[in-house]
Amino acid sequence: MQILLQLIASGIAVGMIYAAIAFGYQLTFATSKTLNFGQGEALMLGALVGLTLTSVMGYWAMIPLVLLFGFVQGAVVERLGVRPSIKIKSEFGWIMATIALGIIFKNLAEIVWGREALPFPSPLPSDAYVIGEVRILPVELLIVVGALAMMLAVEFFNRRSIWGKAVRATANDRDAAGLMGIDTSRIITLSYAVSSMTAALAGVLVAPRITAIDANMGAVLGLKAFAVAIIGGLESGLGVIVGGILLGVAETTTGYYISTGYKDVPGLVLLLLVLMVKPSGLFGKATIKKV
Amino acid sequence: MLQVEKLVAGYGKVEVLHALDFKVEQGQLVTLIGSNGAGKTTTMRALSGMLTPTAGSIRLRDREIAGLPSHAVAKIGLAHSPEGRHVFGSLTVDENLQLGAFARITGSRPKKELQRDFDRVYTLFPRLAERRKQYAGTLSGGEQQMLAMGRALMLDPEILLLDEPSMGLAPRLVEEVFKTIRELRTAGVTMLLVEQFAAAALEVADYGYVLENGRIRHQGPASQLKTDPAVRAAYLGGAAH
Repeated sequence: MQILLQLIASGIAVGMIYAAIAFGYQLTFATSKTLNFGQGEALMLGALVGLTLTSVMGYWAMIPLVLLFGFVQGAVVERLGVRPSIKIKSEFGWIMATIALGIIFKNLAEIVWGREALPFPSPLPSDAYVIGEVRILPVELLIVVGALAMMLAVEFFNRRSIWGKAVRATANDRDAAGLMGIDTSRIITLSYAVSSMTAALAGVLVAPRITAIDANMGAVLGLKAFAVAIIGGLESGLGVIVGGILLGVAETTTGYYISTGYKDVPGLVLLLLVLMVKPSGLFGKATIKKV
Repeated sequence: MLQVEKLVAGYGKVEVLHALDFKVEQGQLVTLIGSNGAGKTTTMRALSGMLTPTAGSIRLRDREIAGLPSHAVAKIGLAHSPEGRHVFGSLTVDENLQLGAFARITGSRPKKELQRDFDRVYTLFPRLAERRKQYAGTLSGGEQQMLAMGRALMLDPEILLLDEPSMGLAPRLVEEVFKTIRELRTAGVTMLLVEQFAAAALEVADYGYVLENGRIRHQGPASQLKTDPAVRAAYLGGAAH
């Protein structure tokens, strides 16, 4: 029982990273029905830029700069890779374009930071907190708190600010949003910027936990987060948190009880099951629409 | 106020509007009537920038707006309550109205008197006031129509375009919509109204244009069109008034 609780606790920390990235997928899907398949690379760039900045100014001070970096990087992806295909109403152009940009970013990162894994210093003490008999690392707590805070901040922006409401309006009915005086192309750029910003933050949150980072770190995370976005539902904010935790826990328990070699299997099985039983995701909601 | 010259527009290779000329004067209520497929909604879409015209000129207070995207047209002061209402279903009534004033809140149009306009819309449509925290998607068709009109009014527009405000509504609600249009007219709001209920539209309008296959076939003061035998035969069911 104690081991199971331990596995769940560790699984939650891993899962919140998936949730944070999947949350980013939701943001762009809502406004433009497109996704940034280079989301994992946005995370990787955030982590590596964060590493370089940490050596200059320390971990906590570099976070705002990494957020800014992610924001700009996401806007660039939208302008270069997505806007042209939205303009010509291409259904698939953006898929190849965002994948291609992801590969380019990965290669650029290899040129700048090399191919070797680089150690990422932990900003927190390495002594675990002990609750009951469950041990929780401070860096795991950092992931959970950081990811939740970021998602809440974006939700708050979307609910309360007029620009956030413009984002929701664009997601709801793009034509009508235009009639309100909302430049919906700019809103889509904004959603990409915020999406990459969340991924970049996820990068610097996960880096101290995995202790060593390299240009390849994003690929698998991005893919698993995509599975989480599908499991939780691409249009349900709450769904990605539950989906992320579900996947995280499934991985840690499989890794312990079966074999670490199989730890990626349950996520994919879960994905297939959800697609078979409820294709809109566990929390996919029927949209309210009256004519 | 609004001056349209030689407006040509369509979808893909299909030309729907063939060189339309019409105008709306300040404070006037002008109506476009015509049968289904005559090009009424296409005209409205071309005016508000939802559709890019192929040729011609649209001037709003001497500013050329033909070819501008819809968000730019809105900032110049043209509000469009579209056919089919298009309220933001997953946002509340209050939020829908705030977004109607988006251009004012974000500073591209005069912001003052914002609260006055909220009050005005809620006075005009007391039913919306009761439901201000409710999601627009849960409103009835009639309430959604009121919300679409109220949202357009929140721009404090130079001109208000109303496309089929009575569509799909029960007769009692249609009456209510027309009552509101009359109140807005009294308040001095410049309006362009597209309606399938031609008789009712001519009843409230100052001036009317009859659209047929993308061309203006008749025009004149509304009171005159109402009694024009050709117009009555084709659009008013030939009924005597």
